[in-house]
Amino acid sequence: MSGVSLPLWIAIRYLKSSRRDAFITFLSLTAAGGIALGVAALILALAALSGFQAALKGEVLSRTPDIEVELPAGADAEAARREVDGVDGVRSAQIVVRGRGWLLARGRSRAVEMIGFGAELPALFPGATSRHPGLYLGDGLVSLWGMEPGDVVEVVSPVPTLTPVGPQPRVRRLPVVGSFAAGRAEQEDRLALPLSEASLLFGRSAVYRLLVDCSDLGTALEVAGKLPKVLPAGSTVRTWRDLNRVLFFALRLEKTLMFVAVFLIVVVAGMSLVSDLTLILASKRPEVGMLGAMGAAPSDLRRIFLWLGGLLVGLGALIGLVLGVGGAWLLDRYELLSLPSQVYFLDHVPFLVRARDVLSIVGTTVVLTFACSFYAAHRAASLWPVEALRR
Amino acid sequence: MSVSIRVNGVRKSYRDGERLVQVLNGVDLEVRAGEFVAVVGPSGCGKSTLLHLLGALDIPDSGTVEVGGQGLADLGPRRLAAFRNRTIGFVFQFQELLGDFSALENVMLPGRIAGKSTAWAEERARGLLDEVGLQDRLDHFPNQLSGGERQRVALCRALFMEPPLILADEPTGNLDPESGVQVFDLMLDLQERHGTTALVVTHNPELASRCGRLLSLEGGKLHAERR
Repeated sequence: MSGVSLPLWIAIRYLKSSRRDAFITFLSLTAAGGIALGVAALILALAALSGFQAALKGEVLSRTPDIEVELPAGADAEAARREVDGVDGVRSAQIVVRGRGWLLARGRSRAVEMIGFGAELPALFPGATSRHPGLYLGDGLVSLWGMEPGDVVEVVSPVPTLTPVGPQPRVRRLPVVGSFAAGRAEQEDRLALPLSEASLLFGRSAVYRLLVDCSDLGTALEVAGKLPKVLPAGSTVRTWRDLNRVLFFALRLEKTLMFVAVFLIVVVAGMSLVSDLTLILASKRPEVGMLGAMGAAPSDLRRIFLWLGGLLVGLGALIGLVLGVGGAWLLDRYELLSLPSQVYFLDHVPFLVRARDVLSIVGTTVVLTFACSFYAAHRAASLWPVEALRR
Repeated sequence: MSVSIRVNGVRKSYRDGERLVQVLNGVDLEVRAGEFVAVVGPSGCGKSTLLHLLGALDIPDSGTVEVGGQGLADLGPRRLAAFRNRTIGFVFQFQELLGDFSALENVMLPGRIAGKSTAWAEERARGLLDEVGLQDRLDHFPNQLSGGERQRVALCRALFMEPPLILADEPTGNLDPESGVQVFDLMLDLQERHGTTALVVTHNPELASRCGRLLSLEGGKLHAERR
């Protein structure tokens, strides 16, 4: 103990001493245990959310173009595509037509989002059986309706065509070429078909878009800023972030609310720490008075209880950190929490521990609970020795 | 090393519920450097209060207290703490040893508070404990020591910083008669050898009569006692 300051020396002794006092031991363990529990619960909850969110973001972004450009009516889509293709950071740009309609097969119908594509099936249809032009349906729908490649289905557009007998729906009979991995349920409502067929279905009301693929998501945000200069007036540019803004906001909000809810455990542990330190102060009151009589300054007495609180907080946070990070690693590594893959797009709960989350959890916990030590520390510092020594 | 004490017109009262209890009612006192003074008086007469005021553990309602020419009212909390550390050694009836520290560590505490090196403090503490015959009890905790041994440790702690003034509040009050006499003998011996000024509050007239001067506190005032 030779290199240890006086307040720390005394705080360590008080901490060891409290182990001999059953009631104070219980309160100290409750305080440190509460902090440990709070930190571990926060790390596990945020790791589970991060794991889910990372998987969900990956899934969503795999079906979202890096940049989507909506061209104004009558614009030369091919000329715009060539211009965009020449911008630095763009890997490729593809013309598509997007619209809504119905899919009819075997006496059943379903409202769908139709995406007409040119030479190759866009990347937003992952897990496709091939990439050649043709009609592609979600694998879940194919399985549900019992369809096979080569089966002919009808695709109906809501845009009517005028005939001598009046407006008639535009219908195209197309063979199923393949399927793609639909993933989430809403992806089942999407189909891909050749651009020429989509143009026929939507006629002059067809809205042409460019799907722009960039080297990475960060580059896509930079490229989006340059595109208006090379695109026809009236074009709308949306990045992957714009296209999923609501989802990303919801994910952030969910994480924040989870943090606040679980952090209440730490708040309760902080209150427990206040009562623990106050009780230690009450049981050591004559000793604190004697320290004052021997010449310990009020600041020394304050530091003793700050150290005591700091040691309990540090111990609790360290145990919580080990439990939380270790627990998250074990749960993720051995996939201990399984999920029904028919319902979720994952078959287990993934845990992803982010250093930033851990730092904010430990930092906030240490600051809040350490602040709780100030109450007892202040009371110790403001004790007159004569009051403390009075029996 | 020793200091003089000068007390002028000190008053101190306490509130006991609705009632105001005037404990000290204009106390005047002069103690010469190196003197050993005993204060006697019935329980509750204000002996301990006087001692606390002399030791800067409490502040008077009015009047002045000077120790070694230093007026205590002029000192702020930090300087008061330093003053207590370097000028006064306290001995209390219940010793007030820190229960989580060994005898050696308890004696070292004033040195640690003063910022002395651990090695120096340990050497000095060993010397003092050796002087009072506790060389075999260095690592014992207070609950492993007898009452007399605990009071001897408290005496060593009081003398650790070589203070010029020792204030003792019923140092033998919690000891059996034999241990009480032993501790008092030791106090007298140490006071003589270290040359400090000492003021002892006691109930025991026999022990008090062995001090250089005897004062009694009655009616809130000090009176010289005839031997």
